[in-house]
Amino acid sequence: MHNRLADAITSSRADYTEIRLERSWLTAVAYRGSRLEGANSSLDLGGFVRCMSRGYGWGAVSFNGLEHLDAMVARAHELSLAVRLDQPIRLAELPARRDDVRADLDGDVRGISLAEKQQLLDRLNQEMLAVDRRIVDTQAAYRDEVTEYWFANSDGTMLYELRPDVTLSAVALARDEGVVERGLESIGVRGGWRSVQECDQLFRTAARRAIQLLTAPRVRSGTYPVVLDPRLAGVLVHEAIGHMSEADVIADNAEARAMMTIGRRFGSELLTVGDDGSAAGLRGSLPYDDEGTPTQNTLLIQNGVLVGRLHSRETAARMSERPTGNARAVSFRHAPIVRLTNTYIANGRGTLDDLLKGIRFGVYCCDALGGQTHLENFSFTSGYGHMIRDGKLAELVKPIVLAGNLFKTLDRVDSVAGDFRWNQLGGGCGKGGQVPLPVAEGAPHIRLSEVAVGGGQ
Amino acid sequence: MIGTLLERAARRTQAADLTFKSDETLTLGFDGGRLKSAGRLQERGVNLRVVAGGRMGFAGTTDTEPEPLLEMALASAAVGEEVQLELPRPQPLPQVTTHYPRAAVATLEELAQLGQGIHDRLTRDGCHIRVSVERSVGSVRVANTAGVDAGYDVSSVSLGAELVRIRGDDVLTIREYWAGGDLPGNADLEWLVGGILQRLQWAERTAESLHGALPVCFTPSGAEALLLPLHAALQGKALLHGVSPLMVRGRAITFASSFSLTDDPLLDGRPGSRPIDDEGVVSRRTSLVQQGNVQEFIYDLESAGRAGTQPTGHGRRTIFGKPQAAFSNLVVAPGEYSFPNLLGLISSGVLVDRLHGVGQGNLVSGTFANQIATAYRVEQGEVVGRIASGTVAGNAYELLGRITTLGQDAPWRGSTSVPAMLVEGVTVS
Repeated sequence: MHNRLADAITSSRADYTEIRLERSWLTAVAYRGSRLEGANSSLDLGGFVRCMSRGYGWGAVSFNGLEHLDAMVARAHELSLAVRLDQPIRLAELPARRDDVRADLDGDVRGISLAEKQQLLDRLNQEMLAVDRRIVDTQAAYRDEVTEYWFANSDGTMLYELRPDVTLSAVALARDEGVVERGLESIGVRGGWRSVQECDQLFRTAARRAIQLLTAPRVRSGTYPVVLDPRLAGVLVHEAIGHMSEADVIADNAEARAMMTIGRRFGSELLTVGDDGSAAGLRGSLPYDDEGTPTQNTLLIQNGVLVGRLHSRETAARMSERPTGNARAVSFRHAPIVRLTNTYIANGRGTLDDLLKGIRFGVYCCDALGGQTHLENFSFTSGYGHMIRDGKLAELVKPIVLAGNLFKTLDRVDSVAGDFRWNQLGGGCGKGGQVPLPVAEGAPHIRLSEVAVGGGQ
Repeated sequence: MIGTLLERAARRTQAADLTFKSDETLTLGFDGGRLKSAGRLQERGVNLRVVAGGRMGFAGTTDTEPEPLLEMALASAAVGEEVQLELPRPQPLPQVTTHYPRAAVATLEELAQLGQGIHDRLTRDGCHIRVSVERSVGSVRVANTAGVDAGYDVSSVSLGAELVRIRGDDVLTIREYWAGGDLPGNADLEWLVGGILQRLQWAERTAESLHGALPVCFTPSGAEALLLPLHAALQGKALLHGVSPLMVRGRAITFASSFSLTDDPLLDGRPGSRPIDDEGVVSRRTSLVQQGNVQEFIYDLESAGRAGTQPTGHGRRTIFGKPQAAFSNLVVAPGEYSFPNLLGLISSGVLVDRLHGVGQGNLVSGTFANQIATAYRVEQGEVVGRIASGTVAGNAYELLGRITTLGQDAPWRGSTSVPAMLVEGVTVS
């Protein structure tokens, strides 16, 4: 394959050419209620070629199959000539690399039969159904994937990787009279069969939560002091700071650039935030991004001051900074764009109890059902929560919607606990039509002095 | 290749069907004044389903060599559920236009002109404009061992436009999109551009928020919060599992008598149009809600088999997944009021154009509480300014019961046609 890639690159008439090829083996098993929805495997093969010449823009072609590489290169070059630019695209310099990285497959899923995968999920699904007779429906899913990955570019870089991904997800639906509630849990790892053998607790938790939420009240909409658990704090940092740190959002937009000026104060000194694609063994970790740049730990906010952002080779050159290894594509169907990897809030001090102390009446928000962001506006939904009364956790409450302005919200972070943990969930991040991208988030508990809270969904 | 695969499958299974899809999409992106990116996506693949030993299995591949596909599907059937699957037999296809030669052969230059034109018309000082143009040409083939072997060609064009205005720390984002089978006409472009500029004008001034149970006019994009839960609730599968919130103690709930909803795959040139579904069932119109009364739920072959009813022609297949029931084009019947007249009915209320986070959370329950992304205050029938923040909350099914008036224009946004809706007593805080 290396020779075919090298030949195709040599055939290109463009100034810069890159090719990615992927061959994926995928398995999916799904249960709904006590019924198996399906257990199946698939093969996905294809490639992506991107070309660029001085004075012209990017031309990109993606295709199924791994043949006709020369023709695809010619096509991408032709498309690139349709895009004329006054300001030429420059790519930050990067030394050429040749590497072969085979991640630890931790029990290669390709060697496990479909029947074994189906039996594993059947057992986990039964765990949910057995929790309570009011669990009227469940959705349990197992997915695995092993991707053989080749990357080559005209700078002389040539990479081969073996990338595994396994996810389990649990949705339990509880119904009593007219009330319907859901409990959700998931796990996603860059691993294999062995990494998902002890997940029974996860499935029971989803079902128990759905039952508990049946009788839980809603939070009255209003403004409260709020404590976020590490999962939701992780989503906050991903949605609010992570996405605003993606340089493609700011490179072309003078106002956004002004908003994200390096040195700007972001909240209190307690806040340190980063994105680390090189962290060992996390779902968002990779040795190289999809432009062949090695991944790294990039500090974004240090003690409340903006110190960095995330780059592709193109945005790095445009802003005279260094590439950070954050150019990622969901698959060969897409061009790499600036994306997050493993985004985190660094550890502070103290415990959850320390954060609760001093809150007479507030809300403890846990877990995340989803989130979205646009520039400095963000909104996300917690999975469940508790009222805080007189410094202690009180009754469970239904899911809560939090929304606000990034700057104002970060200003209100008044405590960061010392109980950091990484959250590795299934699903993934979406941007520019590319979803789901495997990412992870990490944070300790954090406290916000004041947040607008919607009555919940 | 398809014929051979089906013949081989027929010899080793009780029943089999497959869908072959291929298309090529050209995408152009305009940003900050000019064409910035050009890309082509070529996709093709086969999804095969078999029934063997009374059990269902399926598999998909994008490999040009589908040789292992039958073995993969048989392995899936070996662990699959027992199923009563009655494959449809051949029937004449209904007439519907899904392919427009003019759109299919449009050159990159023509499409680029289209995008540049939209971009130039939106350009304003202090605003950042992004426009995308996408043109896709492809074909679908559906075949089964009961004799169905049908195919049709598809063309589609979609336009997306986004205007972002930043003043200090205040960000205003206005988005709109259009999609159709043919190139857009002048009226379509006018709707896209005019709609964005109208909102920008409304947002020129800011207005104080309103609170309480208010009359709210939902624009077609704002109405997503009310209509999205119906996508899940009208699934035959939800009914089968006893989780459709439209059924309470064995009876269907009712909506306002002005609310009618139809799924229509037989409209010429709409994104969801098709003569036959991906499981070989010929397309027909489905009345989902008629004058406030729930009429039909949608079924694919498998859910229809389990429910002991007829499939409604809503089977949709991707290359890798299992067939699922999905809507084609959704049409909310329009009312009689022009938009100014509709606003004229509001003495003091809110025009909701877009909410943050729609679709997150417990969708099927219908309950929502979403922050305002763009909304405007209405006083004495006139928009007086943009409301910067607030929450709109309620239960979608209850609110659909409180529609008082519908607008006469129901623009197509993608595969849905929805008029503006005036709803009484919506909680805004």
